[in-house]
Amino acid sequence: MEASDATIGQIVLRDVHVRYGTAGERAGSAPSAAADAALDAAADPDAPEALAGVSLAINAGEHVCILGANGSGKSTLVQLINGLICASEGSVEVFGLNAGDPASAAAIRRRAAMVFQHPEDQMVTSIVADDVAFGPENLGVPSAQIAARVDAALTAVDMSEHAQADPADLSGGQQQRVAIAGALAMEPEVLLLDEPAAMLDDAGRRAIRDIVRRLNARGITIVHVTHFMDDALAAGRVIVLEQGRIALDGTPAEVFQHRETVHRLGLELPFAEELAWTLERNLPALGPLPRETDAATLAQELAERIGSHAVSLPGKPAGSHVPDRTAPSAQAPAIVFRDVSFSYVDERSARKRHLLRRGLGRRGRAGAPLAVEGLAFDVPRGSLTALVGCTGAGKSTTVELACALKLPRTGSVELMGIATDDLSRRRELRAQVGYVSQLPDRQLFAETVFDDIAFGPRNLGLTEKEVRGRVEEALALVGLSATPEMLRRSPFALSGGQQRSVALAGVLALRTPILILDEPMAGLDPQGRSRMHALIRRLRADGVTILMVTHSMDDVAELADRVIVLARGRVAALGSPRDVFCPPHSPAPGLPAALAFARRLGQAGAPLPHEPLTRSQLVAEIGGLVRPHTAEASSAEEVSHGAAR
Amino acid sequence: MALRVSIGQYYSADSVIHRLDPRIKLTATVVFMVSCFFVSSAATLALAAVAVGACIALAHVPAGRLLSQIKPIALFLVVTSVINLFFVQTGDLAASLGPIRIFTGGIEAALLYTLRFFLLLLAGSLLMLTTQPVALTDAAEKLLAPLERWGVPVSQVTLILSIALRFVPTLSQETRNIVAAQTARGADLEGKGAIAYARACVPLLVPLFASALRHAENLGRAMEARCYTGGAGRTHYHELKLVARRDLPFAFGVALYLAALVALSLLA
Repeated sequence: MEASDATIGQIVLRDVHVRYGTAGERAGSAPSAAADAALDAAADPDAPEALAGVSLAINAGEHVCILGANGSGKSTLVQLINGLICASEGSVEVFGLNAGDPASAAAIRRRAAMVFQHPEDQMVTSIVADDVAFGPENLGVPSAQIAARVDAALTAVDMSEHAQADPADLSGGQQQRVAIAGALAMEPEVLLLDEPAAMLDDAGRRAIRDIVRRLNARGITIVHVTHFMDDALAAGRVIVLEQGRIALDGTPAEVFQHRETVHRLGLELPFAEELAWTLERNLPALGPLPRETDAATLAQELAERIGSHAVSLPGKPAGSHVPDRTAPSAQAPAIVFRDVSFSYVDERSARKRHLLRRGLGRRGRAGAPLAVEGLAFDVPRGSLTALVGCTGAGKSTTVELACALKLPRTGSVELMGIATDDLSRRRELRAQVGYVSQLPDRQLFAETVFDDIAFGPRNLGLTEKEVRGRVEEALALVGLSATPEMLRRSPFALSGGQQRSVALAGVLALRTPILILDEPMAGLDPQGRSRMHALIRRLRADGVTILMVTHSMDDVAELADRVIVLARGRVAALGSPRDVFCPPHSPAPGLPAALAFARRLGQAGAPLPHEPLTRSQLVAEIGGLVRPHTAEASSAEEVSHGAAR
Repeated sequence: MALRVSIGQYYSADSVIHRLDPRIKLTATVVFMVSCFFVSSAATLALAAVAVGACIALAHVPAGRLLSQIKPIALFLVVTSVINLFFVQTGDLAASLGPIRIFTGGIEAALLYTLRFFLLLLAGSLLMLTTQPVALTDAAEKLLAPLERWGVPVSQVTLILSIALRFVPTLSQETRNIVAAQTARGADLEGKGAIAYARACVPLLVPLFASALRHAENLGRAMEARCYTGGAGRTHYHELKLVARRDLPFAFGVALYLAALVALSLLA
């Protein structure tokens, strides 16, 4: 389906090459997204081209998703279309205009709007409606019409009631919807989306997906760069890039048929497709399963097959067939929250000594809004506890309280038996807990990778020799080799993935018994996510106590042995993932995909004997139904190997 | 986002003053502030106080909120009034204690200068409290537009102002995040002495600068994608229009105040 003979089409690329670090790669003075890439290229003249011969044609009204691992050239491709980046070779034509020519690039941008990854970097004013109006103002739309456009655009993204809000008060998902409204108000024929949902939680992502689908139904051409396979399923056409070339191009069903290729390119298949594949490999008795299916139809089909296979349904007692992970040790818990409340209104400094601290802490201001209230839980030593909840539930506040970055207004927080408001033991306390913030790559500061990672250990007062040992050990943990070249490099010249690894190493080098991770998976591609999973498992095996904030229920099911669900600043549920997810009306903000699928199977008439939480448990359960006579333990083992990848 | 550095301290309410055309409000405030320098007697002071008081009453802004805006400058006010009290040596001797002699002129100056400066501050705060920052930049852009003819980039400057206001909460949030991350790595942010302090700031300032640059770069790209090419050819979402019923009485009130001020000054 390579469109090399593209003579028609709204967007036509002919044998496009893009090389960063060469002259004249940009239209006008646009600061390019690929500054990182450019730095890398400057450091390494043999750097591969960002795009190496891409030809394709996109017709008006199409809904195209562009997939690919980090560095495959997706972002470059989409920015070529509205002339933010220029091709080094080849031609890009949009609406019949040459995107390489600055004047026509400006004309293209009037008709092809774009939304980027970080919503906060796309807003120019502190009122939502005024920001949405920015595009039409630039286009010279008469004032009277702007108001109508702003209203229509905000309605299209369900944000009308926030028209007068300050973007800074909105959640990331809401901000991104405002950014889309800003693009829509320009009444574009083409909407270019560069990973708009990468930083959002499930609900935010779903909202964006629905909006994109609605806009496409209105006739707007969509070109959507994404890491998420569910987005791809919603599209009419999927293009997969590999190192600057088109590897696959077709309908989602056609593309996801190439299962091995998709995996080889560092991508995942959509949940149903991945599951069908695993089942086919592990349970040949089921026969080939239908392709291009969504979860609902796969569940229906599976239920029928299981019904015909399971002649004698096993009457097993509902025992501990799927055991929870081993119970953590009986030692004193690593983190203890005792009836903790906190308010930003009368917050006390976490560092300064207050003469009247006690008094201040108790009195507070009457009616001050509490960010968290009556929090009581503990994190057992050696456990991995997940902290989940919707935006604004108090997760970040809880994390900051647990790191002694904030002090509780009432109640107490103890880490390894040390109260966080005991300032005399602050140094000792700091040695107990490591904190990996969201997007930790943003805390890099030193001139070399070595100095950045060594910052923490040096603050602990270690000798230079010990520091060097720590740095090398931490780098090895995150999967980078501590070569002298690597240690001497500037952290700012690394690729995004490496930056995150170095930032992580900077915390791991402290070798703290407690580690607090805030959304460690945010913004990572599938490969990055599985690397992070492996690292977290490794740390756990080493006995580190981990408290992890996440919005992915699948991560919780795969990694955690305890879950704390926060809602409006209070603990809504606490227990093993099974205790939290399995009861009807679970307070968790979502369910793991495997559990949701098992429930579908149940509704379709094939209930599983035990509710699975992870994909490998799901496959094992289905296997148990299909061939109840085989030894389940071994098959589950083998299956989990296949599924976990 | 509980912790917000407040620059635009807009107080949301629906009042006559809130609804006024921001150009009228901005002009009136500037005119009033200038007029404060011509307040030189008890009568004119009372007049100015009545004018500001009337606006405050109309604006439905809590007095506490208004005064808390002025608090940071209160110390400055006290100091200047004390200086006036001791160093203005005109009029009759009112009191003396050893070498310290206080004259009636000093008392007068201390009261007059302090109070009129206080009124001036009140007027400014009232403007900030009753006008959205965006409306203020819009108004400034419209009022200063004639300067564009002489090459002053008014619309660019007002857009920069608007963006700066927009990024204050973002950057302050990021600063908090970076402080948190580096504190957790054991950074001592209370280094002793200037050099130690400067050194301690490096782990904060470098990421903060990097972050500001990244924002600038991303924002520039997004603005280019949204077809921003500078001031020429842009239209405005808020077309500021004077509404006679809304704006005329206020403008009339301002004129009346000025006339009264001139009359009182001439009489004196």
